[in-house]
Amino acid sequence: MTVSCKLKTSKNDSNNKSKNKSLQTKIVVPELDGAPALSEAAEEGESAGDRSVSVNPPPSPSKKSGLGMLKGLPRRVLSVLSNLPLAIAEMFAVAALMALGTIIDQGEAPDYYFQKYPEDNPVFGFFTWRWVLTLGFDRMFSSPVFLGTLALLGASLIACTYTTQIPVVKVAKRWSFLHSEAIRRQEYSDTLPRASLQDLGIILVGAGYEVFLKGPSLYAFKGLAGSATGSFKGSVTVPQGLNFVIGDVLGPSGFLSTPSESFNTEVHVNRFYMDYYDSGEVSQFYSDLSLFDLNGKEVMRKTISVNHPLRYGGITIYQTDWSLSALQVIKDDEGPYNLAMAPLKINGDKKLYGTFLPVGDADSPDVKGISMLARDLQSIDAIGSTGLDIKTDPGVPIVYAGFGALMLTTCISFLSHSQIWALQDGTTLVIGGKTNRAKGEFPEEMNRLLDQVPEIVESTSSTRSDNFSG
Amino acid sequence: MIFSTLEHILTHISFSIVSIVITTHLITFLVDEIIKLYDSSEKGIIMTFFCITGLLVTRWIYSGHFPLSNLYESLIFLSWSFSLIHIVPYFKKNQKFLSTIIGPSAIFTQGFATSGLLTEIHESTILVPALQSEWLIMHVSMMILGYAALLCGSLLSVALLVIAVRKNRKFFFTSNHLLNLNGSFFFGEIEYMNERSNVLQNTSFFSPKNYYRSQFIQQLDYWSYRVISLGFIFLTIGILSGAVWANEAWGSYWSWDPKETWAFITWIVFAIYLHTRTNIKWKGTNSAIVASIGFLIIWICYFGVNLLGIGLHSYGSFTLTSN
Repeated sequence: MTVSCKLKTSKNDSNNKSKNKSLQTKIVVPELDGAPALSEAAEEGESAGDRSVSVNPPPSPSKKSGLGMLKGLPRRVLSVLSNLPLAIAEMFAVAALMALGTIIDQGEAPDYYFQKYPEDNPVFGFFTWRWVLTLGFDRMFSSPVFLGTLALLGASLIACTYTTQIPVVKVAKRWSFLHSEAIRRQEYSDTLPRASLQDLGIILVGAGYEVFLKGPSLYAFKGLAGSATGSFKGSVTVPQGLNFVIGDVLGPSGFLSTPSESFNTEVHVNRFYMDYYDSGEVSQFYSDLSLFDLNGKEVMRKTISVNHPLRYGGITIYQTDWSLSALQVIKDDEGPYNLAMAPLKINGDKKLYGTFLPVGDADSPDVKGISMLARDLQSIDAIGSTGLDIKTDPGVPIVYAGFGALMLTTCISFLSHSQIWALQDGTTLVIGGKTNRAKGEFPEEMNRLLDQVPEIVESTSSTRSDNFSG
Repeated sequence: MIFSTLEHILTHISFSIVSIVITTHLITFLVDEIIKLYDSSEKGIIMTFFCITGLLVTRWIYSGHFPLSNLYESLIFLSWSFSLIHIVPYFKKNQKFLSTIIGPSAIFTQGFATSGLLTEIHESTILVPALQSEWLIMHVSMMILGYAALLCGSLLSVALLVIAVRKNRKFFFTSNHLLNLNGSFFFGEIEYMNERSNVLQNTSFFSPKNYYRSQFIQQLDYWSYRVISLGFIFLTIGILSGAVWANEAWGSYWSWDPKETWAFITWIVFAIYLHTRTNIKWKGTNSAIVASIGFLIIWICYFGVNLLGIGLHSYGSFTLTSN
């Protein structure tokens, strides 16, 4: 009756490790080294074990010594980049820079910053326009400081993927047995004297683990089973009935931008109209567009509205805006005459357009006339212009693939993945385990499971003991 | 007319039920033995859930679109999400922590939504052209569910911090002054946790106090982590669906609009939280500090940016030509 189960924290672990190391030499089983798959698997397990191990690599592989100097530098860079505190600091830096980018008004002329952050009255005692302009904070999201921090974070992510995530996936894919030393090095480790591997296996299966037994070793896991391109942008405001050529509107916005054939397409605005709510507010606006190729043949016709863009040959046309271009006036049953309308600036976000109809002699110095205002196309004869955004971005599928991958991996990482190794050494059972989630609870779960392992009493078969301390 | 009356009734019922629930909670803090009272507060939260659900459905039928087009509706939806988290069976095992957090949170959002501060936006407004999309339901509901879960989780972390700090303070025999300051700063919600820890101290007077305390801290840590992980998934889906929608409506999936930027900052802060959790040495207090920062940042993202009323997400006075 000597089985002891402890509630272990990390500190306990490190203490026990040093104690256990003295024991280790006694427990080494000779037949283990002969077993074929073990050494390779153990190596992988070790590299996956924790990050700090990779800094001082295990001594077993001897072939690396020749290339040690060459391999040392990338390895050191990797270990620096995959350092968790560094990555967290980088994330904080990115967050802080973005917050700063929303606080400082973006994209203004330098004069604006001279006034807002004057040198004789600095914000927080040091922050002046010099900071803003030197560090490029007036255009934060394309400034070298911000992009550099992002790139550093990206490098850290790649390094972390290389050093930590990939080995984890490898280990998850193939069930691997560890020898006793490697088992002890796991986050959780315990030794049960007088216990049987088979009993442990049965209990683990009962707790939902996939269990693999091979000779004196056991492996179990739960959870995850094997688990900018160039673009063009442009916007245009076209009165109803007029045409434009797509290529004229688009300007390159990436360094790899090359125009395509569909740039020669001509767009004709057949009609522009709006829908209104009963209260008179604009509910939706529509443009009836026809696309003509170089030969003047109509290749496509579609009515677009906000949220329902038109897609043709890699080009997307979005309905984003509208305005009034002309008011139609009928005079003495003649006409209609088109009076050009101009937007008027008023407070608030409501649009207002105005025009002036001269009455009498237009050449006389004091022109009389009627000024006419219009809010939208309701109950007037006016020609509306449609505001279109045109974009071609071949990178969108890649970005969407990234979105999909991010969503998938976020969901997967929510699932936990726990692994357990165990080794029978005579009547003693060496058990190690680790998990990617719920690190605090895993030892508790393990202790609870190990409590159930029946003790082997010398003469009789296994009986369930009941005086453990938790 | 009948709709608005119904809406009125439902709002008031849900608000009063939450108030009663909080009162019963206070009583159960003081007198731990009354289990029946505790049961009734459980039922109260479920009642609240159905009331707010009814309220949202009423608004949906009445206005003809998904009721998430302005701040008032999103606040109602936020308190609905709080009560939803509460009744999800996954978290059933640990209702005591969550209901202490959820009750006050729900009453604050509900109270703020129905208070006089926001009267002018109570009316269900028309849907501007850019919002007329199926993505509205997906994007906004995911974002607000994410906010609700993250708020719950980070409040649990704040509670953890308060208890941990309290422990140290007790050790040095210093005053409670700073703690009170903290309490009032977080809208008094922590006071409940304080009270809870008080009860804990009283009841565990003769038992090894520190053992219970560390158990309690561990529990808080575990649950805040669980809730935040869930909220993080919602937030990720919400941000990404928003990006896809923006690509449909505005022709660009990311435009560094203040709301987008702050949502991204929130995402990064909680990503930091999840990363601090992978290091066993940083667990507990350090990750709780990150989560508490996240708590403030969610409020900046949710309210602060709206108060500025700039950018593409200012739907109170929305026009499409804002850029």
